[in-house]
Amino acid sequence: MKKEVSRRKFLKYMGATALTAGSLGATSKALGQAKPIPKDPIKIAAVSFLTGAAAAPFGIPGDNTYKMCADKINAEGGILGRKIDLQSKDEAGGVDAQVKLCRKLILEDKVDVVLGYISSASCLAVLPLADELGGLIVAYDCGTHELMEGAKSPYDVPKFKLGFRSKAHLGIDNIALALYIKKNYPKINKIAGINQDYAWGRDSWLIFETAMKKLMPQVQMVKTLWPPLGNTDFTAHISALMGSEPDIVHSSLWGGDAVTFSKQALGMGFFKKIRMAYSRGEPYPQEVGKDYPEGQIICCAGTHYFLYTPKDKASADLQKWFVGEYQKRYGKYPSYPCYHAFQAIFAYKHSVEKAAKAVGGWPTIEEIAKAMTGITFPTPSGMLTIREDHNGIEDCLVGITKLTPKYPFPILDKMEIFPAAQVNAPIGMKTVDWINSWK
Amino acid sequence: MGLTGMVKNPRWIVYSLIFIALLFIPRILSIHDLMLFEYGITFAIVGLGFNLLLGYTGLLSFGHGAYFAAGAYTIAMISKYFPQAYSLEILIPAALFFSMVLSIIFGFVCVRHTKIFFSILALSLSMLLFALLFKLYHITGGSDGLRVPLPTLLGMSFKGIRRPEFLSGTYYYFLLGMFSVSFLVMKGIVSSPFGKALQAIRDNEVRAELIGIRVRRYRLYAFVISGMFVGLGGALWTFVNGHVTADLSHWVFSGEIVYMTLLGGFGIFEGPIVGAIIFTYLKLYAMGNTQYWMFVIGGTLIVLVLLLPNGIAGAFAGLWTKIKKVIEET
Amino acid sequence: MWIIYTLNGLYFAALLFLISLGLNIILGVMGILNLAHGSLYAIGAFIAAWIIITLGTQVPPFFLYVSLLSGLVGVGIVGFLMEKSLIRFMYKRTLEYQLLLTFGALMLLEDVIKMIWGGQAYYASAPFELLGKVDIFGNVYPAYFLFVMFIALIAGLLIWLFMSKTKLGIMLRAISLDREMATGLGLDITGLSTFAFVLGAGLAGLAGALVVPTTPALLGFGHEPLIFGFIVVVVGGLGSLKGALVGSLLVGFTRSFGIAVFPEIELPLLFLIAGIILVVKPEGLFGR
Repeated sequence: MKKEVSRRKFLKYMGATALTAGSLGATSKALGQAKPIPKDPIKIAAVSFLTGAAAAPFGIPGDNTYKMCADKINAEGGILGRKIDLQSKDEAGGVDAQVKLCRKLILEDKVDVVLGYISSASCLAVLPLADELGGLIVAYDCGTHELMEGAKSPYDVPKFKLGFRSKAHLGIDNIALALYIKKNYPKINKIAGINQDYAWGRDSWLIFETAMKKLMPQVQMVKTLWPPLGNTDFTAHISALMGSEPDIVHSSLWGGDAVTFSKQALGMGFFKKIRMAYSRGEPYPQEVGKDYPEGQIICCAGTHYFLYTPKDKASADLQKWFVGEYQKRYGKYPSYPCYHAFQAIFAYKHSVEKAAKAVGGWPTIEEIAKAMTGITFPTPSGMLTIREDHNGIEDCLVGITKLTPKYPFPILDKMEIFPAAQVNAPIGMKTVDWINSWK
Repeated sequence: MGLTGMVKNPRWIVYSLIFIALLFIPRILSIHDLMLFEYGITFAIVGLGFNLLLGYTGLLSFGHGAYFAAGAYTIAMISKYFPQAYSLEILIPAALFFSMVLSIIFGFVCVRHTKIFFSILALSLSMLLFALLFKLYHITGGSDGLRVPLPTLLGMSFKGIRRPEFLSGTYYYFLLGMFSVSFLVMKGIVSSPFGKALQAIRDNEVRAELIGIRVRRYRLYAFVISGMFVGLGGALWTFVNGHVTADLSHWVFSGEIVYMTLLGGFGIFEGPIVGAIIFTYLKLYAMGNTQYWMFVIGGTLIVLVLLLPNGIAGAFAGLWTKIKKVIEET
Repeated sequence: MWIIYTLNGLYFAALLFLISLGLNIILGVMGILNLAHGSLYAIGAFIAAWIIITLGTQVPPFFLYVSLLSGLVGVGIVGFLMEKSLIRFMYKRTLEYQLLLTFGALMLLEDVIKMIWGGQAYYASAPFELLGKVDIFGNVYPAYFLFVMFIALIAGLLIWLFMSKTKLGIMLRAISLDREMATGLGLDITGLSTFAFVLGAGLAGLAGALVVPTTPALLGFGHEPLIFGFIVVVVGGLGSLKGALVGSLLVGFTRSFGIAVFPEIELPLLFLIAGIILVVKPEGLFGR
């Protein structure tokens, strides 16, 4: 008897699956043409690291910001009257897991847009799925310049019809660091690097090294180290760096790795002789507190710094709201991933509104993609433009850590802003080729 | 077993019926479920190969991810360095070749041992490959891995076709064909004198040696054949997944291969096939529905080990024998 | 600088030694390779971090160092529960079930950590910072690393004394030499196996606790040490305590000098050395 019931249940379940499969097929067919604005909420999937090493410094702040922005948009009436239904997803589990998750989001859950990805490895694997599956994907925080660049200059843009990145790539961080070093430390002659052993670390060093060689040809690269992601013992690396006696060490370490490195290096007397140049060190002074060494060169991955005031009024107002609201909600100053999350969700909002104006009605994803290409809008860290190569360009801020009585952690001193045109390669030109073409 | 024997055996009628049913799968499943099913089929080939070693030879490898990676990276490397040779009829033999070479080298070291020594050696060697794939960033893409485009097949190009369409059309039938061939070949191997010799080694090494079986050499043969099947699975998987990473050679991935084999039941020829398909769905649905998916599949594994040691297929087979007994008695 | 490289190698070896010693005790006495060993190490780290953070800066520093023992005790208890509820059913089962059970336990424990401590990082660096720095021939070196080496040395000596001088230790060695013979002699195999598992687990927990002041405890904390632990076990010889010592030193030095001299290939170099040893001496340096 018991068996019979479970068998019937099973058959019922099978029937239900077949039915949903059928109805899903029907809706996907209707996606082809522009239609009146639907009543149901917009499904936005936000993928960030919610667990693991990258959760505390990036994933959680990014996810918090998505929620904060979705609340703001919903409170102001949504996008064309449609509310946002935000679904937070975890980026943990490796590249293959992300490929599978993204397929599920687009094919099964039928989300309107996927905003996400912190790791460069995730981005490289997932962005091609946009065109493959016919879904809109906006990368929000990952850095590798390879993502949107072709094999050789000049290359055709865009690389992905439906794939975007609503921020500048790591080129700006590393070029700005090199420019800053040339300007402020013209007499140095030895540089070393410690970067994690994957796309992010490798590409950061590549751009920095190329720019350094061009700007200060006399400088020697004395050591390059590649610890794995999530390394817990940096002593061997720290000693190896000290043994090569560099003046400045370039690093794109992030998260727990950046903190572990700082603490162990502090214990080994590293900072007495050597200055670090962090391509994305902005969150860590706040994370580590007053022990964070002074005099370290730090880049903010753009102008994403809570003490920065954008030049235009709209952006400056947003920055005021952003820093205040974030601090009110989460008790911290927003770090650069927060700014990136703002850019991604508002890039989608502004693009939908722009496209809707053009087509009169709720736009298709192709129309949204078209509107997103070349869009400019205000953000808390200034006006942001997403270019024809589907990549954002931004100005870049670099400074030096300094303790002040006002904050319980070092803040940036001697801030300098490098305008977008000075740190971003022109459209269709590979960043490395562009640097090599500098006069 | 001759051809007539095959026809008379009810087992082969069931196989044929299942095969016919498989032909219609793309019309039944949604595109997403179909892609999952294809993951399942590739792992079924892996399971068939893996079980030659575990179920039939009695050697437990915790490093078969290495041969999976060998097959997968053959595809990725060819697409990166020899794009003109990027067609399935070249890729599949190449993947078989390279997984054979790797399993000859690693197998030669491993088969000198048995039991836990064998397992841990196989594990270490696969981690050596992992270290190389991980560290040689400029060649292998390190932990980011490499993307693979769609291949051509017998001059047919699939340019402009989206991967889901490719996977639900031509490629599904190609995969089904490769699976059927693997199934028949493996069935042939295990019922051949060679297969019987392996089972003799598994059951009693000393006696096998006494009746003139060259134990170590036979183990190596089994190892290499098994590695090639796993490599084939890896190669076919690559097109379904579209991306390869160094993790394929990590011991945790090898552990999943052992898991799915046990899930289906390694005492039965068809067990690993059942296990592979169920595992694929289990993992994705666990991942999609809870952040504690490792708890779910880890817990399932423990329950399986404690309560259902013969796997799902094994449990059904046991049930079937019991039912038959009851029928015969009444 | 070379002396610092040597110290770095010794520090890494000290931690590895504790991990692989535990692996080898379990392997030797029970014949089980504990794939969940890395998770036990991670649990040790989380327990210690949690206690250090809770104690805060209010207590005398001495307590902070004593609290590192919580890794040993806490994970010992986890090990006891694990042995009683799962591992004990595996003694008569074949290899594949033993390995898969610990593989399942690995996944289970990984998520148990997530359930208890969540996804965030735990920073517990007070014991590291309080000890300050020492001067070694003009080089600055954190005293805490010397402390870790010292503890590992003490632990190693105690285990050695225990195994060679006490009756319990001799019984454990008897089992690992010949299980059937030991059964025939009427030794309490079940009780001794439980003890061995608790001891092995506790050592992993101690290693985790010792590490956590130098690096935040995070999910996935135990993956890397487990792999290095495997290398040590294979190179040193399965189940051999001497092998754990020599293997750890070999791995520690290879890593430290490898990073200084061949930073591009330090990891494959390690596996290559392990591979060469295995081809020449397949049972490992001190294997039987």
